[in-house]
Amino acid sequence: MSTGGAPLLAVEGLSMTFGALKAVQDLSFTVHDGEILGIIGPNGAGKTTAVNAISGTFKPTAGRVTFDGHLVTGFAPHRLAELGLVRTYQATTVYGTQTVRENCRRGAFLHLYPGFFDALISSAKARAMRAAVEKEIDRLLDWLGLAQFADTEARNLPYGVQKTLGMAIAMAARPRLIMLDEPVAGLSAEETDHVRDTIKRIRASGISAIVIDHNMRFISGLCDRVLVIHHGQELAIGTPAEVMSHPDVIEAYLGKGHAAATAKANHAAPGH
Amino acid sequence: MSPQAPLSLGAAPPRTMPGAGLLAISALAGAVLLAWPIVFQGSFLVYIATLVMQFSIGACSLQLIIRTGHISMSHQAFVGIGGYTSVILVMKAGWAWHFALLAAIAAPALAGAVIGPILLRLTGKYFVLVTFLFGEIVRLVFIDWQSMTGGSNGIFEIPKPYPWMNDPTAYYYVSLGFAVACVGFCIRLMRSEIGRAIDAMREGPNLTECAGVPVFRIKVVMFIIACGLSGVMGSLNAHMNNVITPGNYGPMESLNLVVMNVLGGMTNMAGAIIGAVFLIALPELLRGYVEWQRVFYGIILIVVMASMPGGMVELLARLRSRLTGREAHLASAVAAEGRT
Amino acid sequence: MSFTDLLTPVLMGQVLLDGMSISSIYILIALGFTLLFGIMRVVNFAHGEFAMLGGWGLYYLYGQFNVPFLLAVPLAGAIVAVCSLVFEQFVFRFFYQKMFQSMIGLLGLSTAMIYTAVIIWDAYERQIPPAFTSTLEFGESIFGESLLLPTDRVVVFLVSMATLAAFYFLIMHTRMGLGMRAAAQDVEVAEAMGIRTRTVYRQAFLLAIFMTAVAGALYGQIYFLSYELGSQPLLKAFIVVILGGMGSIPGAALGGVILGMSETFLATLFGAAVSNFVSFGVVILILIIRPWGLLGKPE
Ligand SMILES: Nc1ncnc2c1ncn2[C@@H]1O[C@H](COP(=O)(O)OP(=O)(O)OP(=O)(O)O)[C@@H](O)[C@H]1O
Ligand SMILES: [Mg+2]
Repeated sequence: MSTGGAPLLAVEGLSMTFGALKAVQDLSFTVHDGEILGIIGPNGAGKTTAVNAISGTFKPTAGRVTFDGHLVTGFAPHRLAELGLVRTYQATTVYGTQTVRENCRRGAFLHLYPGFFDALISSAKARAMRAAVEKEIDRLLDWLGLAQFADTEARNLPYGVQKTLGMAIAMAARPRLIMLDEPVAGLSAEETDHVRDTIKRIRASGISAIVIDHNMRFISGLCDRVLVIHHGQELAIGTPAEVMSHPDVIEAYLGKGHAAATAKANHAAPGH
Repeated sequence: MSPQAPLSLGAAPPRTMPGAGLLAISALAGAVLLAWPIVFQGSFLVYIATLVMQFSIGACSLQLIIRTGHISMSHQAFVGIGGYTSVILVMKAGWAWHFALLAAIAAPALAGAVIGPILLRLTGKYFVLVTFLFGEIVRLVFIDWQSMTGGSNGIFEIPKPYPWMNDPTAYYYVSLGFAVACVGFCIRLMRSEIGRAIDAMREGPNLTECAGVPVFRIKVVMFIIACGLSGVMGSLNAHMNNVITPGNYGPMESLNLVVMNVLGGMTNMAGAIIGAVFLIALPELLRGYVEWQRVFYGIILIVVMASMPGGMVELLARLRSRLTGREAHLASAVAAEGRT
Repeated sequence: MSFTDLLTPVLMGQVLLDGMSISSIYILIALGFTLLFGIMRVVNFAHGEFAMLGGWGLYYLYGQFNVPFLLAVPLAGAIVAVCSLVFEQFVFRFFYQKMFQSMIGLLGLSTAMIYTAVIIWDAYERQIPPAFTSTLEFGESIFGESLLLPTDRVVVFLVSMATLAAFYFLIMHTRMGLGMRAAAQDVEVAEAMGIRTRTVYRQAFLLAIFMTAVAGALYGQIYFLSYELGSQPLLKAFIVVILGGMGSIPGAALGGVILGMSETFLATLFGAAVSNFVSFGVVILILIIRPWGLLGKPE
């Protein structure tokens, strides 16, 4: 899974600078079909900026992004969505004044829009697309456990449900790769477990994911591979186990002294 | 489909199929509109109603831009471009009016296509300010391009589109026809998937773009369509008034169209028409007291903006919620924008 | 007029003085506008009408009651400012921190004030009697011919500079100014620090209207007095403020100098129409490239 075939998403040498600040420097990684890649790093490490540079919110200062064989560096978000690359946002991720169902319809624009004139006259094609999407949304809401909230306005939902709705909106676009920026920030342990299961089920349906978070436990329990970012640079990349035993990661996460101690212990062990 | 959602202004109205009540109201309105000039034959009420028809086209087309999240203060400038194009082609080039009308749609649409992509990069107050200045520039062009536009005195003795339209009743029905077509087009557009995307991108531009909506392209296309439609009003209005002067197309007059939408709650075509009726009819009730009329207009603006920024639609909703005893959420996108 | 004609030092001096006096008026009006925006977040579309009131104040004080000119100008400003507290109480107060509503509501106020003025004073233009008819003559030894400067322009320039200096002192060196600067930075923080915003708002309003009314009095003295007096200065102030950056005080000063000077020179060289187009065009261009203006901060 991790190496065979061409990757779905390939990022090479991605950099993003704001004036003098190098928010992201020379990041390279791939995501394969059906893979979950975790991105982890402390506050301000550049995780969101990396996603922004991939998803077209910003044009990266340098680097190449390839998605499904297309060179998509700096493409606008709507063109990436057409290709199947969709993201969620760290903050505001729903249309507060609309019902859950309407939120999903808005996410499904690509599958609802029949073209200008068909839309204008509400042609047979337009109605068929609408009917199909309604069914799809029913299924999606069931699947994510949102069915009971279908007619509730998003702003009246509990925070955790709003986060799930954010994912539902992204899923309504039927992506091939979904990028989730801190999907469990601020959630309870129980809700976190629920989201983790959901992401796993999303993957099981053949959709790849990039998941951003601070929490190593959450990431390592979910992801096939993990990319650790520090000061905008790659610190380590590999399976959760590899990454967690990486001395630089330990140092960055647990402090210098701890890293030195661990290294000494590791070093000392074979000698005895 | 969905329960009667609490009215949320600035947000899209709930998308429901027209019910029996709405159909009944439409039928009634249609009957009143058709009977109007017959009942009030020879009265200035026919003229007022004709004016309302024309301004409905302006206000509703402006709403296409407003709904994308941009409050344009230069819409009347595009109305003016349409008006001058039509008048000049008919009077100086001898075109038949129906061809001049097509040009009067094309010219502002073209102007919109040139200026729209530049202006629409700005949002919020910056867009308001720039369109305000752009409206002023267009007004100056009308004033300074003497050879074409007749300068600040404008062009006089504009003929009616066709001789038979010298009859105010005929002019009324023609305007009614165009208003129904244009407003109907706007309503249809906003109820389609395009309208859904437009409401979505006003409420969450980034989120919408990620759903595959070409946000900027839609904004530009809406701007062009709105400008083109505004030309219909420009042509109808100029030929009815017999005279066209730059003074009618400055930013302050654009504001009038914005206010019609504000009174109507910004996100509702019917509201814009109610706003147009209110702003056109009200001054006429104070005929002969032009100054008092303007003072009164100003005070109403102050009171409306200070007490109910959601417009008359908000007022109606408040009344309704009081009648039904329900607590209505009255959050206004306009108010939210003002606070930031 | 051709370019070479303008190059004579004498003419240059006169155009320069014109530019300086008109710049200083624009700055006064723009400062008031930007103060209201920076602190209360209101876009005061009725700003020009307070300038008009200043013009009427001077018309009565100086023209009718023969109060000495140099006293009549600030007195007119003060009277207008104090009387305008009525507007603060009944209109402006409701629009504080509500930018969008303020635009439309205060345009309403503008309309109401303009037509009330027509009702009270009719629609004809009036002249405020000239204060100084003489011309200052000097510089013959330097330039070979003497520089003729109309005294009233010089006085206009000096009076507005004095007002500006007073404003600067007030803002930078008094407790009141400190409160205003704090409120302009962040109202909530200022409130948390114990600054009474209601008081600050009133002070800022008084100050803004005072400067505008003084500017309007001077403007009316140079040009004419009518219900329309406010519309041109407002538009100019508007441009100045956008140019310099909404809410930025140094921005208003810079914008005022740029607009006043370029306008005077362009108008002398190419005529008023061209100068108008150029100034609007440049401002739109700036707004598109740098919407927050030359010295403003992006949001
Ligand atoms: N638009 C921007 N302009 C300037 N600097 C920015 C911009 N966006 C992000 N930055 C800076 O880039 C750095 C990386 O920010 P980023 O938001 O990517 O971090 P993050 O890893 O997502 O952090 P968090 O865990 O808090 O979400 C930060 O120092 C931030 O201040
Ligand atoms: Mg982040």
